[in-house]
Amino acid sequence: MSPLTPYTYIQCPCSDQTVFHPGGAASDPEDDDRAFDPKAPRSNYSLYPIEYLLYCEDCQQIRCPRCVTEESVTFYCPNCLFEVPSSNLRSEGNRCTRSCYQCPICIGPLQVGAIQPTTDANLLPTQYQANPSGGPYALFCQYCNWTSTEIGIEFDRPSGIYNQLSKVNNGGKPKLTLRDVKDRRKDNPDEPPVPDDQVDADLQFANLKAFYQQQLSEANTSLRGLPLHDGLGFSSPAALTRIMSLYTGRGHQGRLQQGPADIMREALGTNDGLKIANLDESSDIKKLLEGGWGATASLDQRNEQPTESGRFEDELRPIAYLLRSKRSKRCPSCRHIISKPEAKVVSTRFKIRLVAKSYIPTITIRPLNPTAPPVPITYRPMVQEEAPLKPHQPYHFVVTFKNPLFENIKVTLASPNATPGRFSSRVTVLCPQFEVDANTDMWDDALKDDEKDRSRKADEGPEVGKIWEKGRNWVSIVLEVIPASLRLDQQQQQPGNKGERVDMSPLKEGEDILEIPMFVRMEWEADTQADMEGPSSKDKEGREKRELAYWCVLGVGRISQE
Amino acid sequence: MSSKRHSILPAVDRSGPKPPVNFSTSLTISDNAVLLGSHSITMQAETVIHPRSRIESSVGSVLVGRRCIVQERVHLGAPPDNTGKAAGGVSLGDYVLIEAGSVIEAGGTEIGEGSVIQVGSRIGSGARIGKNCTVSHLSIIASGEVLPDNTVVYSNGTWRTDKRGTPELRKLSIVKQIAMLRKMIPSNPDKFR
Repeated sequence: MSPLTPYTYIQCPCSDQTVFHPGGAASDPEDDDRAFDPKAPRSNYSLYPIEYLLYCEDCQQIRCPRCVTEESVTFYCPNCLFEVPSSNLRSEGNRCTRSCYQCPICIGPLQVGAIQPTTDANLLPTQYQANPSGGPYALFCQYCNWTSTEIGIEFDRPSGIYNQLSKVNNGGKPKLTLRDVKDRRKDNPDEPPVPDDQVDADLQFANLKAFYQQQLSEANTSLRGLPLHDGLGFSSPAALTRIMSLYTGRGHQGRLQQGPADIMREALGTNDGLKIANLDESSDIKKLLEGGWGATASLDQRNEQPTESGRFEDELRPIAYLLRSKRSKRCPSCRHIISKPEAKVVSTRFKIRLVAKSYIPTITIRPLNPTAPPVPITYRPMVQEEAPLKPHQPYHFVVTFKNPLFENIKVTLASPNATPGRFSSRVTVLCPQFEVDANTDMWDDALKDDEKDRSRKADEGPEVGKIWEKGRNWVSIVLEVIPASLRLDQQQQQPGNKGERVDMSPLKEGEDILEIPMFVRMEWEADTQADMEGPSSKDKEGREKRELAYWCVLGVGRISQE
Repeated sequence: MSSKRHSILPAVDRSGPKPPVNFSTSLTISDNAVLLGSHSITMQAETVIHPRSRIESSVGSVLVGRRCIVQERVHLGAPPDNTGKAAGGVSLGDYVLIEAGSVIEAGGTEIGEGSVIQVGSRIGSGARIGKNCTVSHLSIIASGEVLPDNTVVYSNGTWRTDKRGTPELRKLSIVKQIAMLRKMIPSNPDKFR
């Protein structure tokens, strides 16, 4: 059983309509709002720790990674940190073209080095020096000791690896390109097409691309009077609207029928990019018999390859680094940008970042009487492990609300008396309504005489309707929980399950974790946005009442299974 | 306030019997190294033992070959969990590099010539590591495991064969490292005799 530290997840309202609740025992029929069920399969997708959430100031709503719309700001290589313009991306693909490669065996970064090391005594042999006169060169992995000589690839120059590598096959033979094939055919028109085993993925792709381009251009010329200037014909929005108008039959009907049939022909041969699967695997079997398990590539290694690769380690090629992107995030409803990183690759700063943590209170939960001993300072990153909760025993938890706003907030809490799910535990919020002071200057806390607040803790126990502890911008309240028993034979006796079929299936994964759904409603008075409203705001003295309400889930701990 | 920085780690345990040692005259051993145990400890020519390394011969004798490097906080000859069964000590071949924080358990453990045990690895008791092997960082070799020559252990215990064929270059690098370390580490073999 993995340890469980108490946690708080917040539900993003974007999926509010989709939360399906099959009228279980948990939902109170008198309540017109159904309680949120953290154990429902859909809830997985709408619960986030507060750090993951953003906040839209205009909609005054929480936004999660699932509901924001993203836009790419920059593309860059994670290895050389060079920014790649999006025009290059379109022409050269989404991989780095600046000699950044990953090891095909262990995905570590590869380094270029001379195969014959220099005799310079001050160098470690593993750090081969780029000697201008030296060579040949190869790619080296410092982690798993792979080198590109294992697949028979060497380089003449230590720079421009991308170009050199794209011209050579594994084993050192030059790669057959479309241009070579065309030249050959020009010299000798009767030569049969290249045999399939010599056609690699790149050549096949080039053939197929040429074939489609030719077909499209033929199809385009057939649509006379409808010039489609775009390179591939059908990808620009203007072309698309024109095509759509053809289908809806407005205007161009007469012309369309004049042209020849605009049907593309199928690829017929190697030159059209057709490659017939090689079902004769006898050579592979022979190779496997010789090389054994060690010569084969793992599934992960083959999946990392950009093109489909064979089953053997010597068919793997160095992997060019996949580019990454920085993205800005927009609110889905008002289209305002709520997160925008700086465009510079090396900068980790943000131009705009509206995180939920600075708009809604941070909720933390901890046991009132911890069973785990405190962790000594020297072992500090260690996680405290609480003992599992015993069924039918009241437990108290301290829930702390920390206010990030500069105004006082009024918080109202609501939680179902019994947690939803098969094993419903009893929950009581001892103080469901309270006010949290504003996030004022940090030193106020030190200067303020808060003796009277502290003294409460010396009292014997939590009291109903009273705040447990209070500080400058935070308030703690106490939550009482009586965990349910996880024994299935006790399920039937529960009064809530009358007339319904009791699910007697064995304990499912995660069902022993006690999660409490809680509805948080906060109310505060904020300055009205002066720029939005004109003189009328002066009448209201620049204050307006605001509220925000959301569901959150408090993960309390595991229930013991005895 | 005292200007001396105190380590949060517990003090090094130097208690225990002083083992009989058999040192080469060209050995470099820091007097901060810890040698203990009852069996003999042999260290051959031009080997370098860093400060704070711990060499224990309580289970069996320890042999360190020629031109080896044993780095800081290495625990050579650590008693294995099942002390009862283990017999024999640790023997390192020539040109073996044991990087910082590694633990080599005793009990007939052998590390072949030219092998590198990288930072924080653990070699179980009775494991036999071949020649020119690389055990990458934080790897764990189980007790009694046998690694063929030129094996690379990486990525949580995956094995592959090193096909570079450059053992001579590795030896050269060790020789250069030793030449530098001999200047850096003050040697005091007499302390342990």
